[in-house]
Amino acid sequence: MSLAADAFVSQLAAAEPWPENATLYQPLKEDQILLSDCASSLAVQAYLRMCGLPVEVVCRVNAEYMSPSGKIPFIHVGNQVVSELGPIVQFTKAKGHSLSDGLDDVQRAEMKAYMELVNNMLLTAELYVQWCDDATAAEISRPRYSSPYSWPLSNILAYQKQWEVRRKMNAIGWGGKTLEQVYEDVSQCCQALSQRLGTQPYFFNKQPTELDALVFGHLFTILTTRLTSSELAERIKSYSNLLSFCRRIEQSYFEDKKGVIVPLIKRSRRGHSSTNQEV
Amino acid sequence: MAAAMELRCWGGDWGLPSVHTESLIVLAYTKFSGAEVTVSPIDWTWKTITATVPELLCGDSAVQEPAQILNFLRKQRFNADYELTARQGADTMAYIALLEEKLRPALLHTFWVDAENYANVTRPWFASRSPFPLNFLVPSCQANTALSRILLTKGEAPLHRITEVEGKIYSDAKECLNLLSYRLGTANYFFGNSPTSLDAFVFGFVAPLHKASLPSSPLQSHLRQLDNLIRFCDSILALYFSSDRPCPLPPVQETMDANLQKLTQLVNKESNLIEKVLLLCFPLLLHGFTVAFGRWMTTSAAAHSTNPTDQTPNPACPLQRALLLPST
Repeated sequence: MSLAADAFVSQLAAAEPWPENATLYQPLKEDQILLSDCASSLAVQAYLRMCGLPVEVVCRVNAEYMSPSGKIPFIHVGNQVVSELGPIVQFTKAKGHSLSDGLDDVQRAEMKAYMELVNNMLLTAELYVQWCDDATAAEISRPRYSSPYSWPLSNILAYQKQWEVRRKMNAIGWGGKTLEQVYEDVSQCCQALSQRLGTQPYFFNKQPTELDALVFGHLFTILTTRLTSSELAERIKSYSNLLSFCRRIEQSYFEDKKGVIVPLIKRSRRGHSSTNQEV
Repeated sequence: MAAAMELRCWGGDWGLPSVHTESLIVLAYTKFSGAEVTVSPIDWTWKTITATVPELLCGDSAVQEPAQILNFLRKQRFNADYELTARQGADTMAYIALLEEKLRPALLHTFWVDAENYANVTRPWFASRSPFPLNFLVPSCQANTALSRILLTKGEAPLHRITEVEGKIYSDAKECLNLLSYRLGTANYFFGNSPTSLDAFVFGFVAPLHKASLPSSPLQSHLRQLDNLIRFCDSILALYFSSDRPCPLPPVQETMDANLQKLTQLVNKESNLIEKVLLLCFPLLLHGFTVAFGRWMTTSAAAHSTNPTDQTPNPACPLQRALLLPST
């Protein structure tokens, strides 16, 4: 969206309070959604829960095409539609809910830098593993992505998506990397996050911010998703403070009053469902 | 020590050692870490279209991409990040990711996609530095690569048009420059008093934007308002890239043998101890010496004088005579 449209939307957003019937759209949980989309969606859900804003999660087959930017997830609030975590944070800020108001300029710069680190490394690595690794693409990504459609549309859409992602990877210089190098990059990213978190409960001491929501979304999804190889999850498990961070956020924000953990995602990626499991 | 290292990069202009961002990052890091590399610009050679720039050649191995080159130099013990803590190392990674995501698309657009800048500045420069007939090919190849990179990373499907993303990438870039300015504050470098790899990256991204004479650039005018970033670039150019004075030495670290280091520390400690002891003892010694001398003078004066009524007080020890004055 252009800057003028952004300003206009912010003005409209500020006019009304958060409604009760806000909805978040994502692809089907059981059969269709992929690792990277699931991570983004979980990050947005965590952020909205941290702000205390109610939102209903609705699964639709064509969520990707409904989204204004083509990316998952997007929220439908009042008569506005906003997609991706960055614009959603600005949208909620215009409505008066913000988690990062207490930070000073240097801390805000650090927070934005770490969010870009997660987007640059973790999200790109997830896309690489899903679409550029032939085994994973053939066994998991293409079947899942095209599951709602019948042949020949399913084949066409799956290969088109794979081609787009591979083009993007080549443009940013990840096309020549091997899987081992990608795992190494993920390890370094997790090491940086682990160093930054240290022994604190959240990244900026006592209060969670959007950075905590984003890191939780990605790490939790990687840890609880079964792919062709569990190397990615193993790399993250070697950092114990990140594991306890994920557990803490899951218990604080995704547990309803009876102490039952709300099912976040179904773990399996191979077609059969399973109950929610411990991290 | 390492074999001779050669760095292939684009040449310099506008007061910079190189006009290419990645080459500038590597050049700055070699200066900060004290690595001796011979710089061979690829200008006017066929490498302008065949080589991936920058490229470091050391013996048989060739390393490309700034991050890989910096890792290689660190392994060769040219490490400008030696004094960073683990958390500062993590911050470095995060800020480099911020530069790549937020600032790079706008810089690519400013130099390669914006029609006025491309026609007046970038294209003539690169065409003049490439041999015939590559001067027709090299600028347009790079411009196409830049455009496709911006659209693929920032363009929103299904309408891949550059006009829709321009506003967004420039506002992201201005925000990124503001964040860097907040982080730098009034310090000379981002971490402490000596430059590190983050300083090299920021210099590589910001210096071309600062020094190039671009006809139309809102981003450049925004940068001009951030005084501390301008001062940062100018001071690095003056300290490390001016031909009339030698570069500041990098902090000396593991180049010394470990044993030799321990020995020098021990010797330093001992000499410090001796100095302290001497300093403490010197006044005591002086006092003792004056007392002894005074006593010797009085004993020798008493031995020489036989007149008991000689009441003239001995100036050498007035105190003693004063004590012995009888009450008459």
